Amino acid sequence: MGSVAAFRLSQIDQSAPTDRELIERTLAGDGGAFALLVERFQRKIYRVAHAIVRDDMEADTITQDTFIQAYTHLGRFEGRSELETWLTRIAINRSRDWLRRRRFVSLFAHIDDGDEVYLEPVDDRPDPEREIMSRQLRTAIERAERRLSAQQKIIFRLRHYEDRPLEEIADLLGLRAGTVRAHLFRAVHKIRKELAGWMNRRQDDSDDHQAL
Amino acid sequence: MTTKHFSEAELLETYYMQPGESMPVMMHLAACGDCAERYKRLERKLREAAACPTKPATFWAFQRGSIMRRVEAKRRETVRGPRTWRVAAAAMLAFFLGGAVVYETVRPVVKPAAEAAAATQITATAAVAPEVTADPWQSDELQDFHAVVQWESWVNEKDSKRESSL
Repeated sequence: MGSVAAFRLSQIDQSAPTDRELIERTLAGDGGAFALLVERFQRKIYRVAHAIVRDDMEADTITQDTFIQAYTHLGRFEGRSELETWLTRIAINRSRDWLRRRRFVSLFAHIDDGDEVYLEPVDDRPDPEREIMSRQLRTAIERAERRLSAQQKIIFRLRHYEDRPLEEIADLLGLRAGTVRAHLFRAVHKIRKELAGWMNRRQDDSDDHQAL
Repeated sequence: MTTKHFSEAELLETYYMQPGESMPVMMHLAACGDCAERYKRLERKLREAAACPTKPATFWAFQRGSIMRRVEAKRRETVRGPRTWRVAAAAMLAFFLGGAVVYETVRPVVKPAAEAAAATQITATAAVAPEVTADPWQSDELQDFHAVVQWESWVNEKDSKRESSL
């Protein structure tokens, strides 16, 4: 039974058109082929964009823009790298632009999106306390990340939210692995410094609670 | 084994910095169950915090539809773009051709330079010295005086004949 299922899966995989075939069909004017490419990669691209910008709506916009840009310049894609890598690079560049724009805007306007969210355990979720902790930690990390430069943010987020190896990040950003490692090292030190304060405060709160 | 227990901040740094087996923290974690448990909890929390929100299938379908609509608009734009240029080029060509035809139709006669210079000179001379007829007596202005003059001429002629006879 398992072997039959495996056989069927392999048949399906073999019959599925390759990226190259879909690109050629798209260039020949087949819109359906491009829709297949979108379906194939939209989740991955969204995840990368979300990992960098940490915003649902912006990640959606960046994903859409990435595919539009890819469609416009599909003729220039030489196939030296995988299509996924190419799309990821476009998404990273767009996300970087967004981060820089946001930083520039924040010079003139106070963007307050990082207030810590304290949720009361009012529902019957399996572990509401853990949920609250997780949210608080996320907010603290996001606050700490605001101290990072755009490049440091991208590297840090691709490494820790996307779990990408340093070599792959270096390839995506067109940097040397050593440079990426140095950026990551500096980013982690900044984050650690920020988070240490948060953890000390939390420890104090916990001690006070126990004393009561 | 390192006897020192590590703080949460140090564990965080270990988590972020691609921990290797040889790191002192990892060596400690291998031997200290308490710290290992805290490290695991921290790791779990961080993974939960970092997780990308799960989206329903409708979200992806909507996003795909949105992308394809924009792609279609882009495609139409790229088709329409060259057509607009072609129409603009044809309009320009028609304009210049029409201009050329009109120019040829009402073209001013251009004389050769020498001829034009001569014509100018003649005109200038005429303006300076008005043309004098060969016999002013025959001019229109003196027509009315012909009779008188003829009579006077007659008298004069008679007198002159007498004088000559004398």
